[in-house]
Amino acid sequence: MSDGWNEIDTDLLVIGGGVAGSLAAIPALEAGLKVVICEKGRLLDHCGSVGCGVDHYLTVMDSGPEWDTPEFLIKHVPGLTDGIVDMAVTSKVIHQMPRILKKIESFGVDFKDPRIGDYYRLRSFGLPGTYHINFDGTDFKKLIGQQVRRGRATVLMRTMGVQLLIDDNRAYGALAFNFRTGEWFAIRAKAVMLAAGEVNRLSKNASGLAFDSWHFPYNTGDAHAMGYRAGAKLANMEFIESTLTPKGFSAQGLNALVSLGAYFVNKSGERFMFKYDEKGENARRAVLADAVVNEFLLGNGPIYVDLRHLPEDELDHMEATLQVDRYTMPAFYDQKKLNFREDLVEISVSEFSIRRSGVYFRGSGLAVDTNGETSVEGLFAAGDCATVSGGIAGAAVLGHIAGEGAVKRIHTSPRSLPEIDREAAGAIRAEAMGCLGRPDGMPWRELEDQTRQTVTDYVGVRRNDKGLRLALATLHALAEKEPTLQADDLHGLMRVYESKSIRLCAELMATTSLTRKETRTRSAHRRLDYPETDDRNWRKFIIVERGADGPAVSTLTTDRPLADAFGRAPERGEADVGT
Amino acid sequence: MSAPESATHNPIDIDPGKCVRCDFCDWICPGDLIYHEDGNKEKLPVVMYPDECWYCGLCQSICPADAITIIFPEEMIHNKTDVVSLLGKVVK
Ligand SMILES: Cc1cc2nc3c(=O)[nH]c(=O)nc-3n(C[C@H](O)[C@H](O)[C@H](O)COP(=O)(O)OP(=O)(O)OC[C@H]3O[C@@H](n4cnc5c(N)ncnc54)[C@H](O)[C@@H]3O)c2cc1C
Ligand code: SF4
Ligand code: SF4
Repeated sequence: MSDGWNEIDTDLLVIGGGVAGSLAAIPALEAGLKVVICEKGRLLDHCGSVGCGVDHYLTVMDSGPEWDTPEFLIKHVPGLTDGIVDMAVTSKVIHQMPRILKKIESFGVDFKDPRIGDYYRLRSFGLPGTYHINFDGTDFKKLIGQQVRRGRATVLMRTMGVQLLIDDNRAYGALAFNFRTGEWFAIRAKAVMLAAGEVNRLSKNASGLAFDSWHFPYNTGDAHAMGYRAGAKLANMEFIESTLTPKGFSAQGLNALVSLGAYFVNKSGERFMFKYDEKGENARRAVLADAVVNEFLLGNGPIYVDLRHLPEDELDHMEATLQVDRYTMPAFYDQKKLNFREDLVEISVSEFSIRRSGVYFRGSGLAVDTNGETSVEGLFAAGDCATVSGGIAGAAVLGHIAGEGAVKRIHTSPRSLPEIDREAAGAIRAEAMGCLGRPDGMPWRELEDQTRQTVTDYVGVRRNDKGLRLALATLHALAEKEPTLQADDLHGLMRVYESKSIRLCAELMATTSLTRKETRTRSAHRRLDYPETDDRNWRKFIIVERGADGPAVSTLTTDRPLADAFGRAPERGEADVGT
Repeated sequence: MSAPESATHNPIDIDPGKCVRCDFCDWICPGDLIYHEDGNKEKLPVVMYPDECWYCGLCQSICPADAITIIFPEEMIHNKTDVVSLLGKVVK
């Protein structure tokens, strides 16, 4: 094709080299296939959400007791997800958890606690067993990255995937560019894996700084946007995920505090969680966030976390591990001059993201079947951009399943790769590069700021018909301005693409929120005009895809897998997989 | 750069006396914020897009010379926002 394009042909193209993308690459490399990974980061060993380390891993281990079996956890999933969950895919993920745990251990990840020489397992977020392994995951991503590099994948770093190549509902590659060098890539592949994470920078938080976010602010729904434009179906996009953070710094750490036994108290010093859930502070994340939202609205703020009652050794352990999830947390407390042994820690509700609405296994994003394949043939998805997700474990397990699914797809599709439409590809590149020579255009920051304000005001934790329609009108008007977006440099061009993905995902969220005429999972989807949960009419998935004039919405009852909406003939033997 | 006026807070301080100009911080920053010409032993790395910082501290954690300090801005350390303003407007 040339014309300044770097052309690459491969078997599997992975977009996003985080946890899910890396685990997806591994089975393909083991099968001797060629793998190309496009990743915005510079180092595979440190890129993505977990570049600074992790501290908990959710898994069943089949260690003996009944609660530790896949069957037991599977039985509880409908309750954990308020009935909106793809059980076919989830069951397969849970069944494969012990196998993938062992596989990751074989890469050198040590899940055991050196203090006890065994796995240290904790109960949190309303799960019906001590499923979280608490471990020092400082090198988790490094060891996974090393495994991928040992397999000799071609890794295109600082390279952003921007557009999928689709022919007759079949994915055959993508266009990408390097935001340091300005090189453009046209990559043809027999299968494509979307693993670009969740949607952040979507709403405002206390600090008002867009990149101060609980989750990785450089994951901006690019997988959702690329998949949507390619015709793939998405589900659960109406649900919000938010959490509780130290006020001013949107950071993790809630999990650790809650499992150690922290109390939440309001301005009157009242411990209020038991008003909302019999599990108190051990309720699901969605319930915790909802209770705090409610206390604020009742005028009971400020809200604090109280750790002062905890035994000294627990506090010592907490202090020693404070930096594992977020390296800078000790520096934050330090600069704030706050001592949690003596002071209450003021908290806030975080910004929202589109991820998995505070519950395990119900992901918001690209609908997949039990092979991790989306409704577009040859297009796979895993991790926080797919409809079944659950932290690093969910990303690792579904990533591996999807990698195996892609290998199968590559082996069973003899079709040769279509030629790339030069004109169409050239037009996409020209449009992108046009942003650089447009000094009077609209800065990407403005598109993003307006999207964030709209989501905060009308698509957040208090939704109603009028507000959602107002939000959609604003988001549509913003879309009209996208052709005038401006960037100062190649780095800014990356941000232009990100801000467009964020706006599109906000539109999909507002559209599907308008459809779901009930309240479910508390403030994850609270409709003030439909305050009750309505199982009779709404125990359904809301599926959204590209229609003739914008997003088209349909529903599917949750006793069926999302793949039933794909219209793809099931494989032989598929019906009994993991159900 | 089109960073707004109010966003001039520099999230990281690089000690010129300690920095050995090794490129690591440029490589590890997940936001592509830190720029340093590969192998240039004269120039210090530059934070090109300070208002896009995640405050993750990866740059500090990888720096072999202990030259980086994270500095949180005032709106993070002493936050005055009314949280209720983040909880939406009700259109009647
Ligand atoms: C600080 C922190 C701590 C956490 N701790 C835990 C924990 O202890 N336990 C747990 O279970 N979960 C934890 N999580 C959540 C967990 O990290 C995620 O659920 C998990 O990483 C999801 O995997 P993923 O592959 O979908 O996303 P990621 O691992 O974030 O990978 C996505 C990758 O895609 C890349 N990308 C994005 N867009 C593009 C594009 N257009 N082109 C190319 N590349 C792109 C990104 O650079 C990134 O590397 C934590 C998250 C954070 C932020
Ligand atoms: S703190 Fe993180 S985001 Fe900020 S400059 Fe350092 S590495 Fe980059
Ligand atoms: S990592 Fe440290 S020593 Fe290396 S260039 Fe950056 S500041 Fe200097």
